[in-house]
Amino acid sequence: MNEPVERESVTGKTPAGGLASGFAAIYDEHSHAIFYLALRYLGDPEKAQDATHDVFLKAFRKLDQFRGDASVRTWLYRIAINHCQNLCQSWHNRNVHSNADDSVWENSAAKTDSPLRVLETKELGQRIQKALDAVSDEYRLLLLLVADEELSYEEIATLVGQTGDAVRGKLHRARKAFAAHFEKTV
Amino acid sequence: MKQQTKLTQKSESVVEQHSQPQAATEFGSSDELLRFDAAQTTVPPEIAERLKHSATDITPAKAGWFKRLFN
Repeated sequence: MNEPVERESVTGKTPAGGLASGFAAIYDEHSHAIFYLALRYLGDPEKAQDATHDVFLKAFRKLDQFRGDASVRTWLYRIAINHCQNLCQSWHNRNVHSNADDSVWENSAAKTDSPLRVLETKELGQRIQKALDAVSDEYRLLLLLVADEELSYEEIATLVGQTGDAVRGKLHRARKAFAAHFEKTV
Repeated sequence: MKQQTKLTQKSESVVEQHSQPQAATEFGSSDELLRFDAAQTTVPPEIAERLKHSATDITPAKAGWFKRLFN
């Protein structure tokens, strides 16, 4: 399923206008989603900038491999996830989290349906990052993907290589773990 | 003297207003919170600029693919 893109819609009028118009349209439409994933997954704005650049350059080079059986967004997410996971593995500078760590929070009093109260939105990003850093890579990825309303559970399941039911179950636990960590960041 | 007292009272009330606790913002779920966070996040324009320069090295043969894709 391909996404229709107006070739002439952004020619020369966008920051990516120097790219061929079709690809500039892809960048304009999806760069925010890819940058946000990279930012919160990697937890570093500069690394996220580099990663977003590398992901789109890779996509630009690999357009001949895009078969159109997934949406462009899903395809870009696939490249971004692989890229970010490779970076995390090679850096070795992130704390190692095990599922055992998550289980502590999954069994905590925090509920996924409880509202998250925030008094000050100024430093909200830092609190969110701390809470995301505290959960496992798998949970962090699921939370970030499900936050994108354009992705269906089936697409998320395909991206993470699991069934839809498995994703739903893990998301429930991921939300609970995130909420518990977030409450602790106050 | 009376005027000075008035001023003092006024400045005190300003301080009080500033020190009043802000109303809490509530997010119904972590999804909602992350969507709010995403909406506050902007993509640095430097990325597109760098990408534009990097893409100039791509060979025309490969660049032709996306033309076919979107034609």
